[in-house]
Amino acid sequence: MTARALKPWLFLLPALTIYLIVIFVPSLYTFYLSFFKWNGVAADKVFVGLDNYADLILHDSVFARALKNNLLWTAGSLILMIGIGLMLALLLNKRIKGRIVFRGIFYFPYVLSGVIVATSWAWMYNPTQGFVNKLLETIGLESWTRAWLAEPETALYAVFVAALWQGVGQPMVLFLAGLQTIPHDPYEAAVLDGAKPYQSFWYITFPLLRETLVIVVATTMIASMKVYDIIYAMTGGGPAESTQVLSSWMYYQTFKFANIGTGSAISFFLVLITMVVIIPYVYYTTKRSHL
Amino acid sequence: MEIRQPSWPVQAIRYGVLIVLAVIFLVPIVFIAFTALKSRSDLLTSPFYALPEKFQWGNFAKAWNQGKMGMYMKNTALISVIKVPLGILVEALAAFALTRLNFKWSNAMFAFFLIGMMIPMQATLVPLNIFLNKTHLVSTYPGIILIYIGFGIPFGILILRGFFRTIPKEIDEAALIDGCGDIGKFFRVILPLSMPAIATLVILDFMATWNEFLLAQIFITKDSMRTITTGLLSFRGEHSTDYTLMNAGVLLSIIPILVVYLLFQKYFVSGLTGSVKG
Repeated sequence: MTARALKPWLFLLPALTIYLIVIFVPSLYTFYLSFFKWNGVAADKVFVGLDNYADLILHDSVFARALKNNLLWTAGSLILMIGIGLMLALLLNKRIKGRIVFRGIFYFPYVLSGVIVATSWAWMYNPTQGFVNKLLETIGLESWTRAWLAEPETALYAVFVAALWQGVGQPMVLFLAGLQTIPHDPYEAAVLDGAKPYQSFWYITFPLLRETLVIVVATTMIASMKVYDIIYAMTGGGPAESTQVLSSWMYYQTFKFANIGTGSAISFFLVLITMVVIIPYVYYTTKRSHL
Repeated sequence: MEIRQPSWPVQAIRYGVLIVLAVIFLVPIVFIAFTALKSRSDLLTSPFYALPEKFQWGNFAKAWNQGKMGMYMKNTALISVIKVPLGILVEALAAFALTRLNFKWSNAMFAFFLIGMMIPMQATLVPLNIFLNKTHLVSTYPGIILIYIGFGIPFGILILRGFFRTIPKEIDEAALIDGCGDIGKFFRVILPLSMPAIATLVILDFMATWNEFLLAQIFITKDSMRTITTGLLSFRGEHSTDYTLMNAGVLLSIIPILVVYLLFQKYFVSGLTGSVKG
């Protein structure tokens, strides 16, 4: 190789080396481990083929629960997170004074860590001193008070509300940016032609927001399938495993129960699901704007 | 933006909805601040919506010192201050090779780096743990910083490559005529011209490092090295019954983020939209 051909590789070397060490090789090795039974310490790994995957699907009720919770979480995020985010963006795109302040308030929780959000909301939900129950007592709805995070029926939804508080600012900001690229002319033409506001929205705004919508839907789905911090820090997957998701169950299987093979298989489920979302997304975006 | 001034009832409804939502959004922060500033007896006797009888600033000092929140924050600051510039340098060098050196494998290598965005951190933890143990880097700052830099690489290259491509090629020729080598071109031409992208990346990267939880949870096992996220969790575990102190700790951990956010708000918004559009 000539010096000239070698030069780009020299500039790439640090990034490439670290990338290989930290992400690429470990993920391949995890894939390999998912075909073994191993406790992480023993010298021997026992090859079991696809058993880890089969056991998860056929026999592990917590895995099924976790998968269901991830799907619920995804559906909730797609509808509520994106819905509220879009509504806020449309409102803030009007003639509103103090837009920057409102935007700042709605977006701020998004920059907090999942652990901070979890800790804050665990306090909001505190059974005896928390805001939620105190408020219900004060307005005479004492019978509605409950230990929100300690009851399997409510825990997942309670955590989701906290996640909603944290997350709606992101689609809002993306939609706002998308709305600002839409020119005025079509609206003026629509008004002249006597279009109602909802018609303007449906026939002008919505189609022109499609690109933003694709981005928001893809990132929301991926984030929903990977959700971890807020759940681990709020409920740890409990009570009675009712809030387990794939990521948290992977953590327990691997680092608490030392079932390395099972944990690795779960993490490859995550890889697969992510790919199912990302590949069409990348295909779509590269087709429209040549990357 | 609307073309016509809307009627006043429409405007009233809009402001009404926005103000109600803004209040709901502020409730958790205000509630935490109220609790953090009360004394323990005040918390038990006064209504939940009441201001503290007497502001207990001492709660913060207690959380900072006895609760070790100060130590956790210093640890996180140390990691971030090393990780962010080092990571961006590594990413910028790679993005430079991908965009400005007539590199034959440019697109293929870029795609290879992007694969990293598809891989959830979970799929790397066990092998990374083995690697850190073998190299005696487990629970060390170089170990955790190396891993943080690794996970920042795909996103950083995506952003920087995108920006470097917008710098016209004529600049390279001018640099060549002025006698700049490739290293000179990188440090004296491309990096200074890329400051807007780098500034955005610094802010986003800093926040991501500051807020990172999963990797810190697994790879930092010593309490004296914990970062703010895992530190807050252990602080919460130790002070779970002392609500005033616990909320003082939470508020302390919110304050630095709030300051960064208020100072650099435009970077968050612009960086975010720029990043997803690649």
